Amino acid sequence: MLMPPFELHRPGTVEEACKIAAELLEAGHEFDWIAGGTDLIPNYKWHINSKPHVISLSGIEGVSQISMNEIGCMARLHDISESDQVHPLISEAASKVASSLIRRNATLGGNLCLDTRCFWINQTEEWRSSIDWCHKCDCGTGADCRVIPNQNELCVATYQGDIAPNLMVLDARVHLIGPNGERDMPITDFYQLDGMTRNVLQPGEFMLKVTLPDDVSDWTGAYRKLRLRDTWDFPEAGAAAAWRKGDRSTLRVATTALESIPRRHDTEVAESNGDVKAICDAVYNSTKPVNNTSLPPRYRRNMIKVLIKRACEE
Amino acid sequence: MSGGYKQQPGSGSGEVRKDGKRVAGKQSFGPPGSGGSRPEMKPRDLDFIPEMVGGNEKQPAGAHIHDRARTGTTVGKAIPLVDANAKVTGQAWYGDDVRLPNEIIGRIVRSPHHYAKVVSIDTSKAEALPGVIAVATGEDAPNKFGVLPVTKDEHAMAVEKVRHVGDLVACVAAVDEATAREAASLIEVEYEVLDSIHDMKKGLEDVDEPIHWRGKYHVGTTNVQKRVFQEFGDRSMVENPNAMYHGKWKYMGVNHGFTEPHAVVAHWDSNGRLQLYTPQQVPHYAHRALATVLDVPMHQINVIRTFVGGGFGGKSDPFPHEMCAAILSRKAGKPVRITFDREEVFWVNRGRHPSHIEVQMYADEEARISGFDIDALIDGGGFASFGHVTSYYNGVLATAPYELGSFHYTGARVWTNKPASGAMRGHGAVNTRCAVEVGLDDMSEQLGVDPIDLRLANLLPPHSRTISGFRITSNGMRQALQEVRKGSDWDNKFRKLPLGKGIGIGCGFFISGSGLPIHWDPNKFPHATVHIQIDMDGGVTVHTGAADIGQGSTTAVAQVVAEVLALPIEMIHVRSHESDTSPVDLGSYSSRVTFMNANAAIRAALEIKEKLLNAAWDTLGYHPDTLVLNDRRIYYKHDPAIGMSYLEALHKAQEDKGALISSGAYRSPPMGGVHKGAAAGLAPAYSFSAYVAEVEVDVETGMIKCTDVWAAHDCGKALNPLAVEGQIIGSCHMGLGQVLTEQMVYGRTGHLQNANLLDYKIPSVHEMPNVTPIIIESCDPEGPFGAKEAGEGPLLPILPAVVNAVYDAIGIRINDLPLTPDKVWAAIAKRMKVEGIDDPSELPVPRLDFSELQEKLAKRAAEHEIRDKKRQRSEDTNAYVNGVLFGFNPDIPLEDQVEGWKSADKPQPEQLAELGLAGKAWLKQEQRHMGGEN
Repeated sequence: MLMPPFELHRPGTVEEACKIAAELLEAGHEFDWIAGGTDLIPNYKWHINSKPHVISLSGIEGVSQISMNEIGCMARLHDISESDQVHPLISEAASKVASSLIRRNATLGGNLCLDTRCFWINQTEEWRSSIDWCHKCDCGTGADCRVIPNQNELCVATYQGDIAPNLMVLDARVHLIGPNGERDMPITDFYQLDGMTRNVLQPGEFMLKVTLPDDVSDWTGAYRKLRLRDTWDFPEAGAAAAWRKGDRSTLRVATTALESIPRRHDTEVAESNGDVKAICDAVYNSTKPVNNTSLPPRYRRNMIKVLIKRACEE
Repeated sequence: MSGGYKQQPGSGSGEVRKDGKRVAGKQSFGPPGSGGSRPEMKPRDLDFIPEMVGGNEKQPAGAHIHDRARTGTTVGKAIPLVDANAKVTGQAWYGDDVRLPNEIIGRIVRSPHHYAKVVSIDTSKAEALPGVIAVATGEDAPNKFGVLPVTKDEHAMAVEKVRHVGDLVACVAAVDEATAREAASLIEVEYEVLDSIHDMKKGLEDVDEPIHWRGKYHVGTTNVQKRVFQEFGDRSMVENPNAMYHGKWKYMGVNHGFTEPHAVVAHWDSNGRLQLYTPQQVPHYAHRALATVLDVPMHQINVIRTFVGGGFGGKSDPFPHEMCAAILSRKAGKPVRITFDREEVFWVNRGRHPSHIEVQMYADEEARISGFDIDALIDGGGFASFGHVTSYYNGVLATAPYELGSFHYTGARVWTNKPASGAMRGHGAVNTRCAVEVGLDDMSEQLGVDPIDLRLANLLPPHSRTISGFRITSNGMRQALQEVRKGSDWDNKFRKLPLGKGIGIGCGFFISGSGLPIHWDPNKFPHATVHIQIDMDGGVTVHTGAADIGQGSTTAVAQVVAEVLALPIEMIHVRSHESDTSPVDLGSYSSRVTFMNANAAIRAALEIKEKLLNAAWDTLGYHPDTLVLNDRRIYYKHDPAIGMSYLEALHKAQEDKGALISSGAYRSPPMGGVHKGAAAGLAPAYSFSAYVAEVEVDVETGMIKCTDVWAAHDCGKALNPLAVEGQIIGSCHMGLGQVLTEQMVYGRTGHLQNANLLDYKIPSVHEMPNVTPIIIESCDPEGPFGAKEAGEGPLLPILPAVVNAVYDAIGIRINDLPLTPDKVWAAIAKRMKVEGIDDPSELPVPRLDFSELQEKLAKRAAEHEIRDKKRQRSEDTNAYVNGVLFGFNPDIPLEDQVEGWKSADKPQPEQLAELGLAGKAWLKQEQRHMGGEN
């Protein structure tokens, strides 16, 4: 396992980071951001879409704040999971990510921008060459998608982040910054359906922080994660639910690890008039996981009903 | 007293800490002969000296031949492994820790195709790359090798064909890894892709291009590598059964998942000898294969076994990458190191065979087991490896611990275009054992009896013979069952727990050393040899080829030597790393090391002891029979004041010959039948185990959580209870992986989809149940101080125990391992449909109503318990063979007293039509019977 060579840039401030990004863009160089590196480095070791330049956010000061209404992009998942300053739903979700070692390094920003996963892509270069590559990393061959053959339009790799659905049900906003300035949006708008682009980040942009509404502490909820082992594993399916304390009519539900982006199910909830079983069935009907993670899609799809039910229970 | 030995560390420094810890760089360890750091000798530890020779150690299983060699020093005491310090402080040197001056890095070019002819290989671009020092291909090493002499079918690199994705094609060595990887990508190989086979059932069919060709022994033009037929007993007994189980089982392949990936360093030294560093379980086989492949005599090769970061069977074959490193190093004139990525570990594999196993079991009106019919089709992948043996083990290791009316086994191993399967902890016995133990659970339900009582009333006694002719000596099966029944509170839980909670039982039976040393005649060369040497300083150097792979074999050898010579274990230095200095040894497989090497070590140590006592006799004037050896001192039994120090005796013994040297060997006694395959499964002793597992099943998700395990294992005598418990707990972990989550997944295109440790689901600490290890000591008459194996057998029972517990919890039997939640959920959904229920919490759970047979069985079990105790203590030495339970006379050959009692190793023509899946391999003829030319 050997990473391809790349040049590492280590800005000390947000401004410097944007400047480096702008310069690289101008010079036509491709680059990746690196935060905790727990997602990027394994992919680089497998030579998956690696870039010649990498800009590290780890030297930037003042972007790892943790509070009830604001969490910085470089806040470590371990710190979030241990913190009594953040919403309990967020700390619960953070505590369920990967393993304790990985959580020490992994960051909120990295988790939200997690690359999508698929067992046809998360393999070594030799392995991928033996299947003649795939759409997501075709190495210039124009290879087809291996999950759903005969369509090379859309990558269906699965987004397997744990924290996003929880931020979604708490109505969080993400704040992005780049050479063209700062912007923010509801986290539900941040994700964009495609396994390759995944989100709306423009070239040179990175996620600066996440903010939560002022009344977030009035909300309660739960996150349920399907996985074979109680550590290490990405979610095979995940469901988050939240409601204003004492008011079930405000119920919001979001899911993850079922398709290329996490999703909030406002339509399904609205149509079900608060009946949890009806919500489960509606979400079941509107999601179609594909066969690219450890457990079969039929099972994952069925389990989402159980996960939502259990997330709504507490 | 210590005046003459000032060079000893720790003496006379004047620095003494009051907190009991030792001064940095100083040992709190006195000179030999001083009685330790205290001026007086430590008293004998009578609690660890057997009753029979005057100590306090109880011996319920009777006396042992080694009792007189016990000194109360280490045997039976829970001590840390002697290499534990090296491992926990990071000083152990594993394969990839070896760094030789001027080393270069090797990299292997692997096949991207499942099955293809290699048309041409162009290495010119790689050779032209700056930094590349050597390139090699299959042409550089055309000689075949393989772990078993009867099935040599591997090459260092592809000659003519590649047989699976990841098969070796060429290799390069360069100044660094980056250059080596780049060079590997520059090697251009032209392939002609062939039709590949992935389904093992297809392996039974005739094809145009079988994966290997066995000449006149080839079965038709199929991919059958080995076929086995074994039949014993009276087949008519299974007619009109009182209960019958029929299960078709599917097992996914599993990998050992050891921590350390393979790594090798090869170096041709200044005299042109090969020095090969490799983490091998069986350095001797690698040694032989290297000699064959490199065309170099064995004495010009020194195989250096590094520390082994886990083996479990996965490091016991000679490997092609070891040959590659040696070939590259020879070409380059520099040391070459090759370290695997995890994916490459999966390409080498040698894990447990994916299998289809069909089991039919029968019980008669007395709830005796009237027959086992087993059919096992196993997927060997691209090479033979240990498969010849595995093909037998899948059947014959089911012939105990129960007494059988008849036994029928058909087995076949086929080649497919996958990485080779091979030996893995519990070799060949695990999958069939699971099916058989679940079958017993099912039959006990049909019979209306407790499954533990069904087992207790059908056990073979100690000192008996199985239906296949295996010689059982010590046998702690009954006690193991009784202990787990008690420990788990079985009688209050079984079939009484609510839906979603369950408890299950499973047993195990495994060999303690293979009776046949594969490469030589056991009558002409011993299984194991150990040399001991003691020089002036009193330290004892033990040379053995036993390969410590983490199981603690070095500790076991050191312990028995320390025990016999009554020396602190710190004075025993085991040298086992180099083939130059260690006697030839078969290494760590078949759970043979403690049994065989410790036996050899005891013999060598007894010879040294005799020399020491004779020297003391010269000086003290008391006959050795009246002298006691204890804690670095030899003294007169009736007056401890008369004596001399160990060192004084040693120096006296050395007067005429310098260093004391001795050699001990172990040979297994003649045993077993004469039929074809009789040697497979034959062992000088067998281990027995019984586990009870308790599980929780989430009926909505199908998730299984094993919460508690009571694990009783009969290891004969726990030389080191700490090590035995470690093996039991580790076995639980490994077996739980296979039964719950681990599987090698081959996808739609035949590619291995999860060749990494994130997607290959080894259970984590969170999935580990509370394991209560229970050590059963049946005191094996031939084992070292009574010991038998504890490394592999403890894995077997966990699988059926969990499967049976899942049935107890949800009333559904699933014959498809691993029991991943999707399978369990699908089975629950199917059952709900059948039952017409919407809510899984309404699932019916099994309950037990005893039939009148229960009382009969309990009575029979009680009688057998008395029988077994007498036999164990040799108060009853009458012959006992399988069949006595059915009323036959053990002193007359069964063939002569039972009409229809047979022993066959080939099917009769009229049987062919009724054979199972693997039995289909017998429908084809071998080439030599088809008029094939070669």
